[in-house]
Amino acid sequence: MRQTSAARPPLIAAWLIELVTPHEQAESIPGDLLEEFSELASRSGLTSARRWYWRQSVKTITHLAGAGFRAAPWSIAGAAVMGYLLRWFSAGLPEQVIVGVLHFRRHHVTPYYTWPQAQTYLLWLNSGIWIGHLLLSLFIGCFVAVVARGSEMVAATALGLLCGAMNGVGFLVLVARHSPENAYLAPFLVHQFVGSIMIVIGGVIVRESRSAMARRTSRV
Amino acid sequence: MTGRDHLGEFEHVVILAVLRLGDRAYGVTVRQEIEYRIKREVSIGAIYATLDRLEAKGYVKSQFGDPTPERGGRSKRFFRVSAKGVAAVNRTHRALQSMTEGLRLFERYS
Repeated sequence: MRQTSAARPPLIAAWLIELVTPHEQAESIPGDLLEEFSELASRSGLTSARRWYWRQSVKTITHLAGAGFRAAPWSIAGAAVMGYLLRWFSAGLPEQVIVGVLHFRRHHVTPYYTWPQAQTYLLWLNSGIWIGHLLLSLFIGCFVAVVARGSEMVAATALGLLCGAMNGVGFLVLVARHSPENAYLAPFLVHQFVGSIMIVIGGVIVRESRSAMARRTSRV
Repeated sequence: MTGRDHLGEFEHVVILAVLRLGDRAYGVTVRQEIEYRIKREVSIGAIYATLDRLEAKGYVKSQFGDPTPERGGRSKRFFRVSAKGVAAVNRTHRALQSMTEGLRLFERYS
């Protein structure tokens, strides 16, 4: 059977499948899906085949994630809890670093801030702390994925979900205690949500680099 | 004999599909055979999760074939049922037979 350039499975679905598939099944699962997809595309059309591929991908990812967790529940839970504690204890670190850097830069220059300088200072402070937190989340995601060898994505996603759930609870407590119209609550939620995403991205980075390494080794 | 010696419902279905397919049993054919026989769409992930579990119990054995172009240069993983697997199928079958014996299911519930 000839595989035309048009008969390609959905890129995102194929990428997600490769991301969660264990290394020992990296040949069989994506290969089987591609084979059936090509067969279905030539028989029932590309749209139907793509729909089938997405349906299979979602079900397969759910199964693989569940199987991955059941295979090593303690090491995954341990890595996620370790990552959560690390995030908890290092939460103030970006602020300390950015404030330290800004004060070091301003030291011995002027004893006070002019209005434009104060604006610049605040901009650096806010965006610096924001970026620092995101980088910290990314690093923690990488760390958890490195620790949970073989279940990188399951562990990073578990931590991302754990942080997301805890932040959701925190958000509800804030809403209950303060006025729901409080303008600071929405950025807080966005900030925390993006942090959870960065943890998962950390897992993706580690998983992708390990897959690339495994491919290089198998070629050799 | 413990409860672990018997196959679960889906394990039973998957191992029977592998037995039916003989030398042609790999992910795609096993999935299609199950879909054709029991009219239920199953995911390839569920098939491999079950086959891996069966392999860990020693009920099936697997080996990789040659890479093929229609699979993007990836190999097929072929499965075959071991003697221990056949014994487990027989045991499960006998257990089910013994449980359904004398029930007259077709007369009473059809």
